Amino acid sequence: MAKVSDIVLWDKPGERVLLLGNQAIARGALEANIAVYAAYPGTPSSELTDTMAIVSKKAGVYMEYSTNEKVAFETALAAAWSGLRAMTAMKHVGLNVAADTFMSAVGMGVEGGFVIMVADDPSMWSSQNEQDTRVYAKFANVPVLEPTSPHEAKEMTKYAFELSEKFKHFVILRTTTRTSHARGDVVLGELPEEIKERKRKFGKFNKDPSRFVDVPANAIKFHPAILEKIEKIREELNNCPFNWIEGKEDAKIGIITPGLNYAYVKEALAWLGIEDVKILKLGTPFPVPYGLLEKFFEGLERVLIVEELEPVVEEQVKTWGFDKKLNIEIKGKELVPRIYEMTTRRAVTAIAKFLGLETPINFEELDKKYEKVKPLLPPRPPSLCPACPHRNSFYAIKKATRAKAIYPSDIGCYTLGLLPPLKTVDTTVAMGASIGIGHGLSIAQNGSLSEEQQGPEKQVVVATIGDSTFYHTGLPALANAIYNRSNVLIVVLDNLVTAMTGDQPNPSTGQTPHGMGKRIPIEDVAKAMGADFVAVVDPYDIKTTYETVKKALEVEGVSVIVSRQVCALHRIGQMRRRGEKWPIYYVNEDKCTGCRICINAYGCPAIYWDEEKKQARVEPTMCWGCGGCAQVCPFGAFEPMKEGEQ
Amino acid sequence: MKEYNIVITGVGGQGVLTAANILGWAALHAGYKVRLGEVHGMSQRFGSVISYVRFGEDVYGSMVPEGKANVMLSFEPVEALRYVNYLKEGGMVVVNTKPIVPVQVSMGMAKYPSLEEIRKVFEEEFKAKWIGFNAEELAEQAGHVVTTNTVLIGALTQIPEFPLDAEHVREVIKISVPPKAVDMNMKAFDLGIKATKEILGL
Ligand code: SF4
Ligand code: SF4
Repeated sequence: MAKVSDIVLWDKPGERVLLLGNQAIARGALEANIAVYAAYPGTPSSELTDTMAIVSKKAGVYMEYSTNEKVAFETALAAAWSGLRAMTAMKHVGLNVAADTFMSAVGMGVEGGFVIMVADDPSMWSSQNEQDTRVYAKFANVPVLEPTSPHEAKEMTKYAFELSEKFKHFVILRTTTRTSHARGDVVLGELPEEIKERKRKFGKFNKDPSRFVDVPANAIKFHPAILEKIEKIREELNNCPFNWIEGKEDAKIGIITPGLNYAYVKEALAWLGIEDVKILKLGTPFPVPYGLLEKFFEGLERVLIVEELEPVVEEQVKTWGFDKKLNIEIKGKELVPRIYEMTTRRAVTAIAKFLGLETPINFEELDKKYEKVKPLLPPRPPSLCPACPHRNSFYAIKKATRAKAIYPSDIGCYTLGLLPPLKTVDTTVAMGASIGIGHGLSIAQNGSLSEEQQGPEKQVVVATIGDSTFYHTGLPALANAIYNRSNVLIVVLDNLVTAMTGDQPNPSTGQTPHGMGKRIPIEDVAKAMGADFVAVVDPYDIKTTYETVKKALEVEGVSVIVSRQVCALHRIGQMRRRGEKWPIYYVNEDKCTGCRICINAYGCPAIYWDEEKKQARVEPTMCWGCGGCAQVCPFGAFEPMKEGEQ
Repeated sequence: MKEYNIVITGVGGQGVLTAANILGWAALHAGYKVRLGEVHGMSQRFGSVISYVRFGEDVYGSMVPEGKANVMLSFEPVEALRYVNYLKEGGMVVVNTKPIVPVQVSMGMAKYPSLEEIRKVFEEEFKAKWIGFNAEELAEQAGHVVTTNTVLIGALTQIPEFPLDAEHVREVIKISVPPKAVDMNMKAFDLGIKATKEILGL
């Protein structure tokens, strides 16, 4: 099991390796001779960016962790304008952030190949909504490629660059959680010489204001040009190697299935033992190539479209069929759910129903059996790690506000502060929104300090936001709050890393994949912007954190507290690698009164309740030694074990 | 062999992902087509997790459908129970019996079922075969709790008709752990094998 970073760079064409979908895409980009890569991490896209960060130096590729998706998009786009092959990646909601540039620049096209990887998250395993990027693609008239397997993801990446370059158009490579986070066998291809020789490639931007200056007089030419391009691409995709017809040629039943759905359909058909069917496998759900449809529909009487989420393919096929006056039954969303992710079970169920068959497993019976199990199951949602500094920040905030404030929060590990016992997250909407919402809440309830009238009762608002999120989209919101003089406390939970997506650096760390960049301390930004109160605390010191929050709440206007302590998971990971030890706490049985404060108010997952002794206990394998429990316990029952005791 | 399906369950941070990856590489070396499905991001943080390992001549999706797992490897008893519906009839479960109590249970908002209750569901409702032992204890014997995952993989290789060769799997572990930890992990692997053999009366 070699290191993935090595495998992605292996000069061993033909070798079969096991790669994560996202890593396979990174390899594909290298095989395509990519020059510039820029992205902001977002699950499920992050490993692509992390892999590029690790291999970029050795491959002569410029790579950056950008502060948000829009600037990442612009960085890569400008490189593509300069004739280089460039790529950016994001999660589905990230495309909303980049949408402004995306929608406007698409008409300008590119010179070098430009691939936008967007990872959707059907069923929302770690996202705030379930949006289908293929709808965006259609909206923008940009072709979208969708792989079925990690190997195909790699191959498609190369093809995406070629397609983009050929038509000088954007191309979206769309994955879902189950392609990005599936591992599968991948056959390595050739690496270009420039990558092997780690040659950094530089481009040249040729000025052309009629193309790159988006004033109405120019833009007016873009839209018809885009429409013309997309129809040409539709034509081209008849020959796309990732679109094909398979199965029984003279079958009466057909199934159309894009991307990963194809895998589920194949599995379902094998499971049901059905061979008498023709399949149209689509690697390009938009635009659907009409020539292939023409060929596929020959001799068919009934067609089922199996696709996840929105009926993107279905609408194209039905429109085409209507125009052709086809008298063929086409079913889709009547049988295939429009919400949540596709599974083999769903595919089997839909196909069985379509054909009037029984499913091979009686799922309803299985569900009934499982219903009886459910009441036995205690919930186990994800939680803030042991020793997580956020727990202390929330604990201090809640105590200082006597749980009476409104707590808008943001996107990051700290969203987990919503769970009991902390319950200090009242809203989360989108990246950077906590400050905007906090400002709005205060304006709605208290009014602005620059207004003549103020609200009758002061409603305290404490917004929390992470360091990476602060730099992502918190900055404009902070400027807005300060400028418009609302009354909010913003606590920036600065754990010096983008923890939720896998420890990527950001301006608060200053680290870049190439060495030290320039560190931007959050408190300096807050001061420069004119915040009315700025302080930095260490949340591992709960008392000072609590007192500082109290102090900030007395200040009128926008206060910013930077609560800085490195992410516990990150720290422990590094200590483990270095073979270092940390103190482990235990409960002194003589002192624990069984008050449960450590459990009911603080909630470190390493602390559990001993039913027999009616006391708290620490699970030693889970304790990461922050000493928070010792500060929270009113009876001093938590003590570090002495050396050699653990 | 058309397909062989394993589900691995546990609590985020226990090494579920690593175990899946090791089995995946062993299957790849054995010449099979392989698909692994895993959880990333926030869902991993001490929450309930499930990973899928599938290999054979014909595998497509990365998720094992309900009712289709040949075997379940579980790092924690309640997390085994949570996904019992993935097992096929007559399937097998190898489970670390050391519980991790969720905060909600400590807070008195939920109850943790007894090991007996859990086992009964597997054996009586789902007609599964149960192989349960405290893998964490064995890992400590081997040198450190972090080898719990190796103990469990060792155990897995001993179940009847398991298609991967134990020595094959051992080789993958050897090259995937840090050099310093090889001996400890080999010991853990053997302890897992021994425990399963004893339970199965081999
Ligand atoms: S990863 Fe870091 S920030 Fe996230 S919950 Fe764990 S310790 Fe806290
Ligand atoms: S020291 Fe206390 S609060 Fe910190 S991780 Fe250990 S048990 Fe949890």
